[in-house]
Amino acid sequence: MLEIEGLHVAVSGKEILKGLSLSIAAGEVHAIMGPNGSGKSTLSYVLAGREGYEIISGSIRYRGEDLAAMAPEERAAKGVFLAMQYPVEIPGVTTMNFLKTALNAQRRARGEKDIDALGVLRLVREKAKALHISEEMLKRALNVGFSGGEKKRLEILQMALFEPALAILDETDSGLDIDALKVVADGVNGLRSSERAMLVITHYQRLLNHIVPDRVHVLYGGRIIKEGGKELAHELEAKGYAEIIREAA
Amino acid sequence: MSALPNRRVEDWKYTDLRNAIEGEAVASAPVARWSVTLSGTVEQNELPEIMARGTHGEMGTVAAAHAKSGIFLHVGKGEQGTVHLELSNAGHGRALIVVEEGASLTLRETMSVGDFSNIAIEIVAGPNAQLHHIREANADGESVRVSDYSIRIAQGATYRAHFADFGAKLSRTELHIALEGEGAEVHLSGVSVLGDGGHADVTTRVTHSAGNAQSTQLFKLIAGGKSRGVYQGKVSVAEGANGSDSRQTAKGLLLGERAEIDLKPELEILADDVKCAHGAAIGDLDPESLFYLRSRGVAEPEARALLMRAFLEDAVAEITDEDIRAEVWSHVEAALAELTA
Ligand SMILES: Nc1ncnc2c1ncn2[C@@H]1O[C@H](COP(=O)(O)OP(=O)(O)OP(=O)(O)O)[C@@H](O)[C@H]1O
Ligand SMILES: [Mg+2]
Repeated sequence: MLEIEGLHVAVSGKEILKGLSLSIAAGEVHAIMGPNGSGKSTLSYVLAGREGYEIISGSIRYRGEDLAAMAPEERAAKGVFLAMQYPVEIPGVTTMNFLKTALNAQRRARGEKDIDALGVLRLVREKAKALHISEEMLKRALNVGFSGGEKKRLEILQMALFEPALAILDETDSGLDIDALKVVADGVNGLRSSERAMLVITHYQRLLNHIVPDRVHVLYGGRIIKEGGKELAHELEAKGYAEIIREAA
Repeated sequence: MSALPNRRVEDWKYTDLRNAIEGEAVASAPVARWSVTLSGTVEQNELPEIMARGTHGEMGTVAAAHAKSGIFLHVGKGEQGTVHLELSNAGHGRALIVVEEGASLTLRETMSVGDFSNIAIEIVAGPNAQLHHIREANADGESVRVSDYSIRIAQGATYRAHFADFGAKLSRTELHIALEGEGAEVHLSGVSVLGDGGHADVTTRVTHSAGNAQSTQLFKLIAGGKSRGVYQGKVSVAEGANGSDSRQTAKGLLLGERAEIDLKPELEILADDVKCAHGAAIGDLDPESLFYLRSRGVAEPEARALLMRAFLEDAVAEITDEDIRAEVWSHVEAALAELTA
């Protein structure tokens, strides 16, 4: 589903990703762990197509296509979804209106018919309920004044609504209380299927107890320095990054 | 007639009328004709030449001098009505609108006549009267239009007005507003959405001459292509007008290198016990917001339009009449679609 090869990426002239390679097959869930500043969010932004992230060399293929050549909205319509580490506040746009606009924009780009306002409302309500997101929140301006955990939940609501083929979750667990973590993990697990892949970026083993990954990668200094099965997350938790980095060197 | 207002005149610094039209064309412009649609209890009469002597600016004075005739609309004590006003023929025009004590009027004004128009409108709101005024001026890169309003608000009366301007070769809206009685209120809002070649200038002069009066202003300007948006607002609080409450906000969104926005809020306070706040800010579309929307599948032009709509939201929300607000929104959205196409 996703093949990244020898990826070098610079931001503001500074090289951040330095030869990153990673492959995720359909049906798999991969986790990326790594210390602060190692390039995890940079990778997620490159995958989503944020401007200012210059690909110096390497390739990103998504379902056989060159992902880097696509506009962000095209990626979204083709099933790429990034739950951001820091979701953006947009005053003046109500959450509900945003969800409707985004959902139908994706559908239109795929040549599907719009869902009418009532239909979207029903759909959103049903998904929101499972994530304990209140009606009142949906009426407010997008992310404005939302608590850290509420913002993360709204990201997961979008994931549930858009049903992406490739979901990238950038520290969605940070800032969530224990109950919310469970709710979010249930949301993610509910989407797991043989046609979907997920890339879960996290600092904590805790999340991976709920969302059990097929593979775990350690990102350090812009490269994957170690990978393994789900037990690697336990090893990291026990040893800390310093030792893993020493071992890998 | 002496020289037309030009950029060397402080108040016309950003709106050079002399550069936009020949003095001869102004001097020889005909008397404008109005098309008026009434409902409710509104009387319409010919405006006698001796009436309508408000505080106008340079061009309002010119309009009043040239327009021998005009219209006079009157809403009697305690009555209610609505008026739709539109110029059917360009030129110098004059109107007087009087809303008597306790009466209420919804005044819609649309501006789509081309060429050169210069109108002076005087509005008088009696004690406890309620006036809701919505003006829309269409996009027209050829026309030169000047509107000068003189508005007097008596005690306990409220004048609430919204000005949506989609840009002309030159468009000047000048508001001279006097809060003359205790507890009088004025609430001004407006949006200017300008595409290539568009210009819109809103200049407001609000005077608090009585105490405990309230004035609010909220103007949002978007300038794309080569265009210019102007807001100049001066609030004066006269000596003794204690308890005055005034808020003034103007914000601009610049869409490119060739667009220009000039915001100039001013305050002059001669009373002691007043609450005044004013602010102005110019920015461009937030790239993070744009990326967020695009990453959720909203195509770039649509995402831009959505953010621009969001930028204008609170100013348009000032229109309290739901149907009119929806109509203004539809015109604003059409203008935004043009801007992002
Ligand atoms: N615009 C920029 N200009 C310069 N350096 C940048 C820019 N954006 C990111 N960086 C740097 O790139 C490095 C990687 O940042 P990134 O956000 O990808 O880290 P991360 O692994 O997500 O960290 P965290 O765990 O704290 O979220 C950091 O050293 C950061 O300072
Ligand atoms: Mg990060």
